[in-house]
Amino acid sequence: MIVDRRLLPHLDWWLVAAIVALVSIGLVTIASVNWDPALGQPGPRFWAQLYALGLGLVVMTVALFVDYRVLAQRSVLLYAGLVLALIVVAYLGVVSNGSRRWIRYGGFSLQPSEFGRVVLALVLAMYYGGSRRGARTMSTVVTGGLWLCGLLLLIARQPDLGTAVTLIPVFLGIIYVAGLRMKWLAIAGVVAVLASPLVWTYGLQDYQKRRVQTFLDPSQDPRGDGYQQIQAKITVGSGGLLGKGFGEGTQSTYGFLPVADNDFVFSAFAEEHGFLGVFVTLGLYLFVIVRSLDAARLARDRVGAFLVVGIISGFTFQVVYNITMSAGLAPVKGLTLPLMSYGGSSLLATLAGFGLVLNVRMRRFTN
Amino acid sequence: MQPQEAYEHRHSLETRLVVLRVGIILAISAMVVGFWLLQVVQNGKFQTMAQSNHLRKLPLRAPRGVLFDRNGRELVQNRRSWTITVVRDRDTDVRAAVERLAGVLRLDDERVTEILDRQKRQPLFRIPVVERATIEQVAAVLSHKLELPEVEVEDVPTRAYPSGGLAAHLFGYVGEIRPEQIKSGEFSDIDPGAVVGQTGLERLYNADLQGEDGSRIVVVNSVGRQLDVVGEDDPVEGSRLQLTIDYDLQKAAEESFQALGFVGGSVFLDPRNGEILALTSLPAFDPNDFASGIDSKTFNALMTDPLKPLYNKIIKGRYPPGSVFKIVMAIAALSEGIITPDHTEYCDGVATIYGSPRRCLGHHGRIDLITALEKSCNIYFYHLGEMLDIDTIHKYAAMLGLDGLTGIDLPGEEASFVGSREWKQKLNGEQWYPGDTISVAIGQGYIGVTPLALATMISTVANGGTLITPHLVRAEDRGQGWQPIPSPPARGQLFLRPDVLSTVREALGRVVQSGTAIRGRINGVPYAGKTGTAQANISLANRRAGGDRFETRDHGFFVFYAPLDNPQIAGVIFGEHAEHGSSTSPIAKHVIETFLAKQQGRPLPPSPLTRTASAGTTPAARPGTPGAPGTAPAPGAGAAGQAAGGPGTAGGGQGGGR
Repeated sequence: MIVDRRLLPHLDWWLVAAIVALVSIGLVTIASVNWDPALGQPGPRFWAQLYALGLGLVVMTVALFVDYRVLAQRSVLLYAGLVLALIVVAYLGVVSNGSRRWIRYGGFSLQPSEFGRVVLALVLAMYYGGSRRGARTMSTVVTGGLWLCGLLLLIARQPDLGTAVTLIPVFLGIIYVAGLRMKWLAIAGVVAVLASPLVWTYGLQDYQKRRVQTFLDPSQDPRGDGYQQIQAKITVGSGGLLGKGFGEGTQSTYGFLPVADNDFVFSAFAEEHGFLGVFVTLGLYLFVIVRSLDAARLARDRVGAFLVVGIISGFTFQVVYNITMSAGLAPVKGLTLPLMSYGGSSLLATLAGFGLVLNVRMRRFTN
Repeated sequence: MQPQEAYEHRHSLETRLVVLRVGIILAISAMVVGFWLLQVVQNGKFQTMAQSNHLRKLPLRAPRGVLFDRNGRELVQNRRSWTITVVRDRDTDVRAAVERLAGVLRLDDERVTEILDRQKRQPLFRIPVVERATIEQVAAVLSHKLELPEVEVEDVPTRAYPSGGLAAHLFGYVGEIRPEQIKSGEFSDIDPGAVVGQTGLERLYNADLQGEDGSRIVVVNSVGRQLDVVGEDDPVEGSRLQLTIDYDLQKAAEESFQALGFVGGSVFLDPRNGEILALTSLPAFDPNDFASGIDSKTFNALMTDPLKPLYNKIIKGRYPPGSVFKIVMAIAALSEGIITPDHTEYCDGVATIYGSPRRCLGHHGRIDLITALEKSCNIYFYHLGEMLDIDTIHKYAAMLGLDGLTGIDLPGEEASFVGSREWKQKLNGEQWYPGDTISVAIGQGYIGVTPLALATMISTVANGGTLITPHLVRAEDRGQGWQPIPSPPARGQLFLRPDVLSTVREALGRVVQSGTAIRGRINGVPYAGKTGTAQANISLANRRAGGDRFETRDHGFFVFYAPLDNPQIAGVIFGEHAEHGSSTSPIAKHVIETFLAKQQGRPLPPSPLTRTASAGTTPAARPGTPGAPGTAPAPGAGAAGQAAGGPGTAGGGQGGGR
């Protein structure tokens, strides 16, 4: 491992600070939702998340100090390793909530699919950044699409459609900045619109259709699928300008809001800290995203730029979708909010991704 | 890579990064706006929704005010009972919830259907499923709380009447407010499902008695488990009322009826101020049966009972008073100067008046007014009827309290009436015939008075002319100590000349001492009384066909006051189908003895029930057992009269009175 002390001044401490701030906000919310009044301290999930944060910072540091080009060059190996892990999960994984996502070893469990975005970003950055053509030709777009589909299908059949879908923006982000012709983008858009009725009729399972219908009119099924959406809206809406205060969120602590420290962590946060808290947090997310895009602009080479764009596209998609959903404004999907939601694998993978973003920026002047 | 190409790449990458950046800034800004709309603009709406989500308001029912007798004895109290309720939220599936609960409690399908049907007709937010729940049922619900998030067990104070049917018509009963009562608005500020007074004092003083329900606001989680109490608004107990009733007298009166085997009723009051000391109407019902919802079987039995246990005969029954009315006739004739006390008439058992024969039950010979009252001679009063105009009779009857309402504080009182020219004209457009007056002279024909009106009449005689208002409440405690409630003002003042009063009083004293009410005599305590026999309100044909059936027998009245020279208690005994007023006088005797013993601090006379039991005899006078000693009972007494109890019956009533 090359640790060059001269690189440290180029580390983006502002980005690190913003990331730590967001994880802390997440930790505070997890503590509030999982508060154990008997002990007067947060419940075990808070401590698990704190532990994951420590581990995540280590992973981030590792991802920071290994030159991203070294990683990109070996990205196919990482891809193969991930595919192997996903296959192991498919046969030996732990079933939870009807899907097989976790590998358990001792007391430690890992969700390999969470690392899909980072690995895919590395592979695609290497592929498009390493060739002159980028994504300007149809063949390169299709080849990149195949890399995408490999992981996507493996994860989708767990089934974990939510996580699988987050791979798509990684691909789209990279091919966009890699020079995708706008004409194709327009054609793809038109095809998607025209194909959607066919997808609706043949492509979606009944439960998926029901989810969409419920989203359009939650009152149709207020105790079932619509319940979460209605409760999320009530949770956020009742927060007001200043919020109900730490531990005072009635919706989350009394169990009206489902998965309040995970998929709906932002709703719980919005209830307790109000619009002001939401404003600050959204500002932090915007800062993180814009600052990362700067890293892409400043990157020494196209591999670095594409890597950052890939990572940040997946991240942004998740942030925007989850927060919209947490306000009851998007259909409910099992999608976590990166940095804030409870979940060790998600945090680890996200911090690993930001390690790479910092890595690219830090090495912008090196050759 | 050529520099030019690299530059183009660089350029295109930077442009596209700017596009991404702008896109993201727009997306996040849109989200900020969205959250502003939700959290700040629509905050009020969602706040309410969040509160109703986790806060549940449990009603805390106020206990109704306790009723005491005049000596501070508790007559009506409250006991605890539990109601198992399904609470309906915005989105509760009521059917599923009730069925789940029915499964736990093993209720039959019929009951479930009944509840759901009722819910359809009158939707409630709190649906009572089991009232008066047993401890086992409560335990079953509490142990299945997790499966029954919408079920609650309510602690409901329920009315309790420790003495059962004692004074039932006085207290009345309570019951759940009926849909038509909610619509009519006769009770203000009442929730559906509330329990209100339906009859009697419970009804009339409902606003005072019911108190104010409180509530407890609890935090529940999403499965309905109560986590915390965040607010409590204590219920305010209803006002306590002290009644004018004396429990011992009430009990003495009811036991006397029981001992004699009579039904009917009685009123005892203080003739000086109208305070009612006892009021009974028999047979009665047990108001405890109504306290938490009466079952239809019991209710139907009460409704179809021919003796009408739900009907307060004292204030709602109108009967011809028979010979009791002779008091009014005597006062009218003396006051108008038509006769002096020395005026005599000759009685040989029959007299021809306006061409028709009128009978007396005895051959009294030549008698004066006092003897005529003592022996209850009809012939004497027929002649008074010839001498007095009906409107004059009506005027005196009204002044003595026999016309209209007495104004008692019980709901549903019927107005008494005594015929007059104007009254008959209004009734059926007919003119008044002199023969009509002859019937009224002995209390038959166009006259119908409630037993309570007779009690106010005798009170007026007792107190020398003050027309008191009978009433039942003497003090109220609204939670700040007892405040006396003054007696309602007198309804009128009649000037009775002292010579008139002394003549009537002497005569009434002799009625008890040696006349028709001798069975009611109390040694050493002279008191006033007058018996009367009234024809039951049935047609002549029925009377003949019915022979000696209970329901064809005459009613007996006995009005009285005691002691003779210093009246402190007055009243009326109404023996329904008791054949003769004299047979009911022992009831008055026992109650007056109890009253005097209490007043003088002596031990109360033993209950007539234990007396008859120890004597090993059957009750002294079953309904229809003829006769008072010294009088000649005539089974056909008053047989010529007809349906005298109500207006609209042609009245040539003759004979009959004593």
